[in-house]
Amino acid sequence: MNASVTVQPARWPGGARARRLASSPALRLSGRRLLSAIPVLWGVTFLTFLTLNALPGDAASALLGINATPAEIRAFSIKLHLNEPLWVRYGHWLGGVVHGNLGSSLASPQTVASVLEQRLPVTLELVAYALVITFVVSIPLAVLCAHRPRGLTDRLCMVLSMCGISIAPYVLGLLLVLFFAVDIPIFPAIGYQSIGAGIAGNLKDLTLPAIVVALPLAAFYTRFLRADLLEQMQSEDYIVTARAKGLGPWRVLTQHALRNSFIGLLTVIGLNLATLIGSTVIVEQIFSLPGIGYELLQAISNRDVPVVEGIVLVFGAVVVLANLATDLLYGVLDPRIRHVRSRS
Amino acid sequence: MSVPAADILTTPVPAGPESEAAGRASGGWLRSAEITIPGAVLAALLFFCFIWPLVYPVPKPIGGSLLTTNLPLWSPGHILGTDTVGDDVMSRILYGGRVSFEVAAAVQVIGLVIGGLFGMLAAYRGGWLEAVLMRILDVFIAFPSLVLVLAISDSLGPSETHVIWALSAFSIPAFGRVARAATLRLRDQPFVVAARLSGSRAWRIQLLHLVPNMLPQLLTFSLLGAGITIILEGALDFLGYGIPPPGPSWGNMIAAGQSFMSVYPRFVLVPSIFLLVSVLCLNLLGDGLRARWGVR
Repeated sequence: MNASVTVQPARWPGGARARRLASSPALRLSGRRLLSAIPVLWGVTFLTFLTLNALPGDAASALLGINATPAEIRAFSIKLHLNEPLWVRYGHWLGGVVHGNLGSSLASPQTVASVLEQRLPVTLELVAYALVITFVVSIPLAVLCAHRPRGLTDRLCMVLSMCGISIAPYVLGLLLVLFFAVDIPIFPAIGYQSIGAGIAGNLKDLTLPAIVVALPLAAFYTRFLRADLLEQMQSEDYIVTARAKGLGPWRVLTQHALRNSFIGLLTVIGLNLATLIGSTVIVEQIFSLPGIGYELLQAISNRDVPVVEGIVLVFGAVVVLANLATDLLYGVLDPRIRHVRSRS
Repeated sequence: MSVPAADILTTPVPAGPESEAAGRASGGWLRSAEITIPGAVLAALLFFCFIWPLVYPVPKPIGGSLLTTNLPLWSPGHILGTDTVGDDVMSRILYGGRVSFEVAAAVQVIGLVIGGLFGMLAAYRGGWLEAVLMRILDVFIAFPSLVLVLAISDSLGPSETHVIWALSAFSIPAFGRVARAATLRLRDQPFVVAARLSGSRAWRIQLLHLVPNMLPQLLTFSLLGAGITIILEGALDFLGYGIPPPGPSWGNMIAAGQSFMSVYPRFVLVPSIFLLVSVLCLNLLGDGLRARWGVR
């Protein structure tokens, strides 16, 4: 994507730096991955379109309700262009997307872009907050566990993290509401205050939902990171070297093993991100947060195809970009990977 | 969709080198307890859900008497009390558990057969078939399965069969990925090469040599997947897209109890505990077997 920036004509003649940049593995990787993402994203939107259209029910009857007469429904279908054949509608939508126009919502007078603009920040903030909680909890715990495997802390952590993985998010959400909103009212049970209206209130509203998203994730990452750390500590030569230099056990663990374990963790985060965003749907429903998942549920039941397509496209793009960022970060964390031509 | 779950399980936790050594160090009983205890609890749950109502006159899960609503725990005839419309909670738990376990088993079997077959075929044949199948799998992975699940249950109407097919959208690609990785690992092993050199046909190698070797991995994976499926099934019920409301299911009970949570927390707590214990046992059993069989 940055090829146009690096191939500046002014620098090109004899510009060794520009040529080096253009042939840099990171850029080539980015370019290749972004290109190969196009058919995947196309497949995703096409599948969504087919699914929503193959199933019984359409936007006209969903929006007008059960009391509408067939004539009203027909008139409304024509107004929404639902009477046109499937491929014409899809082609029309796809043509718009190629030109950067996501179309407009069938259920409301808004454009899809403005719906996304409204809803996306809430979900992104929730995910970011949850990820921060996850790392703050899981990284220190994993290091503590790995410091003395099968010790008391380790066993306790393993039991608790297993429970954390096994608990259903809606159960966790309800329990948290029961304890922290009903019994000891610290946090609000539902509702959302935008970040513009005050950052303290905003964070307070998002705390319970973020914990619900973060806890299973933190439990899983703790287990993953602990196992990875133990593997590093037992089988890697650089650990022996670090110990032989006389470094203390904590230093070996946090500065040598942990740095290498981050590579494994990064892969898992990249893989999880799609489901992580998906998981916000239920959480947003429980806590009535006006995020993208909440909108998705509404759009599906309204058969609001353009909005669903827009959201699916954003989900897909986030997944692709996250996986790319993961691959690029590998190079930062591990110099050995940086110079190898990595195959996507 | 609910937990990062669906993916949590497709990315195996490294078994950790301590697993073998530790088993010896801390005594054999602890190792086997990691498998027998969750196994026994699961067996008991299955027995009470599927067989107990056949041999013991358990009250009906729906159509209870309005005269006996909101009975507390340990009431005579209603061990776990009754709910707001007078249905016996214990009975709803048992019949709801049937739904959960049936859905979990069906979704895993569908995923194992379809996903496993495609994954194995793709990796074994390679070439254009692998490229095409893997791109399809990529689409499924980037595709928020939730959209498919919600769309299917929303438009076909809520029912157990629809929930099963909808949730298979999660399990098929997951099994496909695991089966492909396992086949890639096995494909060039000496015993497969030997079979190929001795003239075995491709289907024979796949069925008689590859399948038995990856079955332990797929089975432990399906135990972990069953836990996820139970959570997801409850989530669909909770959102109103699962088993239609008067029908007994754990998700429905939790959703119905939500409105009375501050007055009668037990309506939420009792089904939640059963849900947690079931999923916990499935996860522990899966983990235990994974460690014992040395699969990653």
